[in-house]
Amino acid sequence: MGMSYRRYLAGARVYGCLSCRTHLTTIHSMISRAFNGQHGRAYLFEDVVNVIEGEPNDRQMTTGNHTVRDIYCCKCGTTLGWKYDKAYEQSQKYKEGKYILERNLLVDVQ
Amino acid sequence: MRLPEREYDSNPTSPHFHHRANSSSLSPSPKANGHRSRGPVAKVELPGATIYDDSYIDREEYIRLVIQSLRDIGYIESAATLEAESGYVMETSRVADFRRCILEGAWREAEEALEHLGVAEDDGLWEAKFLISQQKYLEYLETGKTTKALHVLRNELAPLHMDPEQLQPLSSLVMCSDAADLRQKAGWDGAHGSSRRRLLVNLQSYIPSSLMIPPRRFVTLLDQARLRQISQCVYHNAPLTSRHFSLYADHACDTDLFPRITTAILQVHGDEVWSLEWSHNGKFLASASKDKSVIIWSVGLNRNPDISLHQHLQDHPFAVGCLAWSLDDTILLSSSEQYIKMWNTETGICIRTIEAHTETVSALAWVPDGSGFISGSQDRKINLWGSDGKLRDSWGITAIRITDLAVTPDFTRLVAVGESAKDPVLPTPRGDSVTAPNTNRNGNNGNNPTPNGARTQEHLMIVYDLTTKQPELSVSLGGQLTSVKISSDSQYALVNHAPDEIHLWDLFTGRLARKYTGQRQGRHIIRSCFGGVDGNFVVSGSEDGNVYIWHRDRAILLDVLTGHGSGSVNSVAWNPRNAQMFASCSDDFTIRLWEPSSGLAHRTADVQSHESEPGGKGKGKSREPWVEDDPASRSL
Repeated sequence: MGMSYRRYLAGARVYGCLSCRTHLTTIHSMISRAFNGQHGRAYLFEDVVNVIEGEPNDRQMTTGNHTVRDIYCCKCGTTLGWKYDKAYEQSQKYKEGKYILERNLLVDVQ
Repeated sequence: MRLPEREYDSNPTSPHFHHRANSSSLSPSPKANGHRSRGPVAKVELPGATIYDDSYIDREEYIRLVIQSLRDIGYIESAATLEAESGYVMETSRVADFRRCILEGAWREAEEALEHLGVAEDDGLWEAKFLISQQKYLEYLETGKTTKALHVLRNELAPLHMDPEQLQPLSSLVMCSDAADLRQKAGWDGAHGSSRRRLLVNLQSYIPSSLMIPPRRFVTLLDQARLRQISQCVYHNAPLTSRHFSLYADHACDTDLFPRITTAILQVHGDEVWSLEWSHNGKFLASASKDKSVIIWSVGLNRNPDISLHQHLQDHPFAVGCLAWSLDDTILLSSSEQYIKMWNTETGICIRTIEAHTETVSALAWVPDGSGFISGSQDRKINLWGSDGKLRDSWGITAIRITDLAVTPDFTRLVAVGESAKDPVLPTPRGDSVTAPNTNRNGNNGNNPTPNGARTQEHLMIVYDLTTKQPELSVSLGGQLTSVKISSDSQYALVNHAPDEIHLWDLFTGRLARKYTGQRQGRHIIRSCFGGVDGNFVVSGSEDGNVYIWHRDRAILLDVLTGHGSGSVNSVAWNPRNAQMFASCSDDFTIRLWEPSSGLAHRTADVQSHESEPGGKGKGKSREPWVEDDPASRSL
């Protein structure tokens, strides 16, 4: 894969990884706070950086079947949430290509 | 390269020529070397004024240079004979007298002689007299004759010089405590040093060269021919010795002597290898890997050396990105995210772990006097550390998230590259931001602009004055900058620039001097370096898995070396003591050593230990690839 440095973000509020403070996303990129993850409240974001995406797999969620990938912090490897590859329900299509981050795994870094 | 001994002796153009000339053209007085009369040598009358009919070279000029060369070598008799035979003299007695006066310190006579040496203008004469008076002044001061010195200052130097500000440094020398102090403050090595000779060289520029031939003129011309031949030799990688430069033939390096064959594959790292650095003595190679370890390989300067694993430095919390050997090679620095580790290279013990940066340390560089080192980081800070690992100084927050930095060998400048701190804002759900970073399929920490928005970050090269720590030059460049190296003469900075370019910046003029293209570089940290004799080559890794080598001055792509597996060649390092060896490291977990294909190469390498090796073995691929499965079996 080669060597690269992590990305750094700016904005009114930058969310980072709780364990290593790696920049992940900003409040400007937030779509919704009304999600739930394995650790409670979770947020949906337009874009997230500095994460490694796992293999795709299908998961049955409260809003229907989705193809998702787990996402991991690229520095410390913590599982932070998931990314939606595909939503099978027409009403859920807006989530495709978006990211879920668990609120309890995030920290304000700015 | 050279003729066998016996042919040499019978060669009529050999240095024995003057014996033949003496015996054939001089009167028979077999002893009396140096006392022989010149009378009997008949002047040879020749038509025309050039040395050959179809030549533009003036015979008088040519012969006078030959006479000068003969005198310089010590063939005084031959020179005199040639003067008699040709009717040309190297210089008139007036010039000879002037030369003698300067060297003997007969200043009044020298000044008088100067009037008759064709110094073109009044200004020239003034300046020449000023130089002579200045020498006289310094010599009086040196011998403690202060009154006489002041007399020279008031009556000769002051009237001659129009600018009193330039006189001030001279007059202040009166305050020097003793001769040594004077010599040091004046940057002058005294009457018995080379100062009179240097004065003569300086005076030379005011006297027509046809009257007083510049010193060693013939050799100067031959040196120019040599430089021209080197510039034509694109694979030039030979040391400056008589073996590689004969007057009998134009110089050209054998391309077989160019390192383009893999002679060893070092395969112990368990993940991508990201960085390489040779020790200053050229005997050890350090490699840094994503596997969170550093390996010090013992390579040695011998032909067909035993390559062994000297130390495996495993105690890193994260992948290792940078390495730097101390000047005496006793300490190796490594960086792993925000940590800097100092290792004893002999024992492999970690001396110290420094955690002062808050983000990834992206550059480590020892300062040229060895007193400490400088670190640069993605946290925008540049810190100076003592060799004990204690913080000595800090640049504070710079304008860039540093991706690499280097210090010029002359200790005057620091060149840092990186991204300006104007970090991007991610796109909003409504899509009204144009600063979207890209998201890759597998790990979206890349740096390419996305189709739906360009990044607003600037990529800067900043040149700092090391004493003031102030930026003296800041250049905004179009793409990510991942590597910076400085040429040994401190003039050039070599900067890897995505996409697909390497820039050579002239630090003296602040201009882009050369561009090297061909290699692939998009989103990864790819590093390059100078290499070979006089740093004639530029070599770089590439995301296509190949190694690229260019001629530095002509920017010609000389070679694309294949062999590494898939992924990027991340870094390269040329052996500082063996101009015919360099190393590359790759995502394929391996390090490759590259050397010439010809066994002969090893004998001509400028390394003493190669000289006595027999020629039969050690051809290119004789080294077995180093493969080690059991780390416990490594040799120390």
